[in-house]
Amino acid sequence: MRYFSRRLAHGLFVLAGVSVLSFVLMALAPGDFLNEMKLDPRMPPETVAALRDRYGLDRPLPLKYLHWLQSVRHGELGYSFAYNSPVAALLWPRARNTLFLTVPATTIAWLMAVPIGAWSASQRGRWGDRVCAAVTTALLVVPELLLALALLLFAVRTGYFPIGGMTSVRFAELGNFEKFRDLVVHLVLPASALILLMLPVLVRHVRASLIDVLATPFIQAARARGVPQRRLLFRDALRAAANPLLSLLGLSIAGLLSMSLVVEALMSWPGLGPLLLEAIAARDLHVVIGAVMCSTLLLLAGNLLADALLYMTDPRIRTDQG
Amino acid sequence: MARRIFARYLAPALVTVWAVTAGGAALRSAPPAEDLLVSRAEVGRSGDQLVLSQSAEPKTLNPVTVVDVVSRTVIRCMMADLIHVNRETQQTERALAKAWTVSPDGRRYTLTLRRGLRFSDGHPFDADDVLFSFHVYLDEKVRSSQRDQLVVGGQPVGVRKIDQYTVQFDLAESYASAERLFDGVAILPRHLLEAPYLQNRLADAWGMRTPPEGMAGLGPFRFKQYLPGDRIVLEKNPYYWKADRAGHRLPYLDNLVFTLVPSDETQAMRFQAGEVDIVSRVSADTFDVLARTERTAAYKLYDLGAGLDYSFVFFNLNDVDPKTLPEVARRQTWFRQVPFRQAISAAIDREAIVRLVYRGRATPLWGHVPPGNKVWVNRSIPQPARSLERARGLLKTAGFSWKPDGTLVDARGDAVEFSIVTNAENKQRIAMATIIQDDLKQLGMSVHVVTLELRTLVDRVLKTHDYEACVLGLGAGDATPNAEMNVWLSSGGTHLWSPEQSRPATAWEAEIDTLMRRQMTTIDSGARKQFYDRVQELVAQNLPLICLVSPNVLVGANKSLGNFRPAVLDHHTLWNVEELFWRQKRSRVGP
Amino acid sequence: MNGPGRHVRAYLSLLAALYASVLLAGPIAPYDPNEQNRNAPFAPPTRLHFVDADGGFHLRPFVYRVVGRPGRFDEYDEDRRERYPLRVWTRGAPYRIAGIVAADRHLVGVAEPAKLFLFGSDQYGRDLFSRLLFGGQISLVAGVLAAGLALGLAIILGGLAGFYGGWADEAVMRIAELFLALPWLYLLFAVRAILPLHIGAGRAFLLLVAVIGIVGWARPARLIRGMVLSAKHREHVLAARAFGATDLYLLRRHVLPQTAGVVFTQLALVVPQYILAEVTLSFFGLGVSEPLPSWGNMLAAVQRYDVLTSYWWMFLPGIALSPVFLLYYALANAFHQQTARPS
Repeated sequence: MRYFSRRLAHGLFVLAGVSVLSFVLMALAPGDFLNEMKLDPRMPPETVAALRDRYGLDRPLPLKYLHWLQSVRHGELGYSFAYNSPVAALLWPRARNTLFLTVPATTIAWLMAVPIGAWSASQRGRWGDRVCAAVTTALLVVPELLLALALLLFAVRTGYFPIGGMTSVRFAELGNFEKFRDLVVHLVLPASALILLMLPVLVRHVRASLIDVLATPFIQAARARGVPQRRLLFRDALRAAANPLLSLLGLSIAGLLSMSLVVEALMSWPGLGPLLLEAIAARDLHVVIGAVMCSTLLLLAGNLLADALLYMTDPRIRTDQG
Repeated sequence: MARRIFARYLAPALVTVWAVTAGGAALRSAPPAEDLLVSRAEVGRSGDQLVLSQSAEPKTLNPVTVVDVVSRTVIRCMMADLIHVNRETQQTERALAKAWTVSPDGRRYTLTLRRGLRFSDGHPFDADDVLFSFHVYLDEKVRSSQRDQLVVGGQPVGVRKIDQYTVQFDLAESYASAERLFDGVAILPRHLLEAPYLQNRLADAWGMRTPPEGMAGLGPFRFKQYLPGDRIVLEKNPYYWKADRAGHRLPYLDNLVFTLVPSDETQAMRFQAGEVDIVSRVSADTFDVLARTERTAAYKLYDLGAGLDYSFVFFNLNDVDPKTLPEVARRQTWFRQVPFRQAISAAIDREAIVRLVYRGRATPLWGHVPPGNKVWVNRSIPQPARSLERARGLLKTAGFSWKPDGTLVDARGDAVEFSIVTNAENKQRIAMATIIQDDLKQLGMSVHVVTLELRTLVDRVLKTHDYEACVLGLGAGDATPNAEMNVWLSSGGTHLWSPEQSRPATAWEAEIDTLMRRQMTTIDSGARKQFYDRVQELVAQNLPLICLVSPNVLVGANKSLGNFRPAVLDHHTLWNVEELFWRQKRSRVGP
Repeated sequence: MNGPGRHVRAYLSLLAALYASVLLAGPIAPYDPNEQNRNAPFAPPTRLHFVDADGGFHLRPFVYRVVGRPGRFDEYDEDRRERYPLRVWTRGAPYRIAGIVAADRHLVGVAEPAKLFLFGSDQYGRDLFSRLLFGGQISLVAGVLAAGLALGLAIILGGLAGFYGGWADEAVMRIAELFLALPWLYLLFAVRAILPLHIGAGRAFLLLVAVIGIVGWARPARLIRGMVLSAKHREHVLAARAFGATDLYLLRRHVLPQTAGVVFTQLALVVPQYILAEVTLSFFGLGVSEPLPSWGNMLAAVQRYDVLTSYWWMFLPGIALSPVFLLYYALANAFHQQTARPS
């Protein structure tokens, strides 16, 4: 219990530290979102100054930070100057959209990676393993940008899939089942991009962990005892490989909100990524901090979850930490 | 006997009296017949929706506080003004005001409002709403972005209610084409916004999360639904005050859907696939790609020619403190020399910019008023061809010379080297800067192109003055010079090369100040044109802005869209959204 | 530490060859990367011919002059009337090797007015092959420098944390977590905005490298710390300490060399990530910008609808990353296998 309370405490410290750091960095970059309006020839300087005054952009940094902390306490996470709404109200739908993309993608990637990695580990050295290694290497060296652009081109050329976006125009008029189908159709390309990017790393890690485990005496003994290969692989070896795999799972969960920035930006998926980019461009301070907080929160949650799972499954950790 | 008298005489009399008074009362309380505006456009059929795309999400639906273009586009579909500028003819026409008179000195406008109109929630409209609206816009505490538009001669316009359907406006001094002041000033519903206004919460009203019942306007559409990160849906206003020649109430469309499509490319792809019905201001390269499949596709493209936008390169002519910005100050000795700027203008290959950046769909400019502004452009401004010889000659007269390796040096022997900043999001400007850089290299100048994010860039140009040269563009909201006062007045906030001067820094800037002020208060349009022609001459000679090109306005729409008449003035495609209709019933399109 | 294995040597030499060709972009590239040919925007890759229009075979390949179709922006035809044979070690645009030695000989070229656009041309008619080589100087070198910086920091901080333990360990690890939680994209954005104008493209590039490197020290630091921790408890280290060896000596002679294998593997794994970081940043306009070519800002052109669908050669800067990554991963693999062998 002490273990977890310590982890929790330092998690909060990280959150606070990140928020301060982000605030300071945003303050370093000059300019604020009213500058674009200034270029409109119909706006006289007094109007702009008055608006800047109303939005409180002239207050010193520490006061701005305290004001923001207050709104966190009220569950608002600050106020967005550009959207004229509390940040939390902006973040949740976008975060939900991102999770809607990354959770299925991560799940499918893991569901594919574990069997493939396990099979590859068991076939080690043989042609199956070689083919697997070649394919994962090929995927590993394709940069994210290129993959997203190529999929976009594929969508344009073939017309099988919608070109970006999360829903089609007439979404609101569709029946429930059709709505679901529409979402799935829009999901295919961005999710494929994410899966193709995650797969090689996951497969390699699964394979490496299993190879290590398969070499241990305990597995050799079980094999000598005549335990069938598949049960050996998927029940015993996997369980023994839980430690590194659960850490990897923790990392996957941690990245759920932040891994898809490029894919979302290039494929117009209305998630947290494009919101962050737009907020950075708009110098919308509180939205940026809020989005950073969100992904930090998930990162810490992911790590905590991995630790918890490890704690429950790996007896060595329990005795170590007491 | 008494009963007989009652039945014969009194009762009918009583009944008659009752009938007359009750009937009279009924007559008096019946609403006056509606004063509809009859549109002269083609008669269409009702139904279906129109899908549009926007590069960003609207931030607010409040006409009082709106600042960004995206929100304004949505709001203008839900609001109406008293006098409107017809984007096609560029002349004013009647809107909510069905008639008006002007006093001989041009300072008093008396507007007669249409009767029997109702807001989109059914509430009746009258002069009280007009009074309330102007009161709000002019209230300094509210700090509306519209306020400055309504300040003439240093005084806000005076508004007075004459009767329930007549309003009087008083200007502090005569103001040229004052009717255009009313364009875009949305009339607000007093019954919904007076309460928040009195509680000082007007700025918070009508945000994106407002329920539809909380909003009302006099525009062709009213707010229906907002899906964050995705789209905003407007539905037809059943009480709209325009009708077509056949007597059917406008608008024809049932719904207007604005979808969020952040990138220009995705917008084009969606348009090609038929998921989006209208595209406005596409870039030239996208236009050409779309043009390739136009013949077999369901859409039609329009190249409307030069609009009101103009791009330019300008130098930092502020009084920069040599201690804080020594490099900039040093280079300003070159920038301040008019022959230097003229040499740069002579060396720039405008034709290459038109061809390589805009694929031929732009007009080269030597003055700041593009030919798209037919009424105001000064056609006698010289348009010399590009000539490196002439540029070199000009540089020689300014005391520059060349080293044996071709580097240009000034009178003191320093090599001419400077940087051009522009904003990273605008690919066309970066391309123009790249071409200019190569052109100036041929004169021996070493030029760096630096891209910055727009906000940072504007901060540097207008506040900290930490830049040397800059490529930017401006787009006037209206064709008249009054829309650009802040650019040309030396005290103006967008007097880009040296904003907010307390006194004009040069003789020609002082002359421009005088001319702009005079044209603003002169009623005679001939005299105004002469003043503004002279302004254009001065700009072309002294080159505070070295104008480059004016991009063509490129739009596209589905072929079956009726009454689509794109205009060169903003908003190019939706200015007559109430008249747009679908010729055939739409079947479901897209996945 | 074992000497470099055979595979490691092979991959290292391949990488060296790659970097050499990129650093020698001056002579290898046929043209100056900023030379604009305003009459040939988006020209497709020039075709090398061996057989001429009359059917005659020539041992020496040649090209035809490419002429734009009148009235069309990006359509070209070959002018088959005259052959321009390929020239080797020919005179061309002047350049400077390492900024000092001036020369003007190029590996290949053709006589003017024909152009040898091996990979086509871009919007301003600039040769893509030349830009790819010069752009490689930015993208590939940025990755290596940033990785060096990150790993240097990781060794120092991770090593100290693992070796001394206690509050030093706690402090370094907590700060590492902070860095791991920060999104590096907007960190770079803020820094770019406050960079002064006059810093010159070269120094701005170095500053960008510094930022990417500084943001990335955390993950390798954790790894190194772990290794140092376990190495600390090895017998020979304990023995040396018993003999009175100082901390610095222990670190230098016993502990850190144990981590060498891991460090090299990490280096080889991390460089491609940093190259990709530079490319991604330049792609979104936050890194190296015009006219300095970087594979990122060259790839950014593909976002335009017309380029995406019509000019396939503009994808090459992205495709070029794959063989580079492949080499690095193979190298990392080789390092890993070498260190995994029992010592």
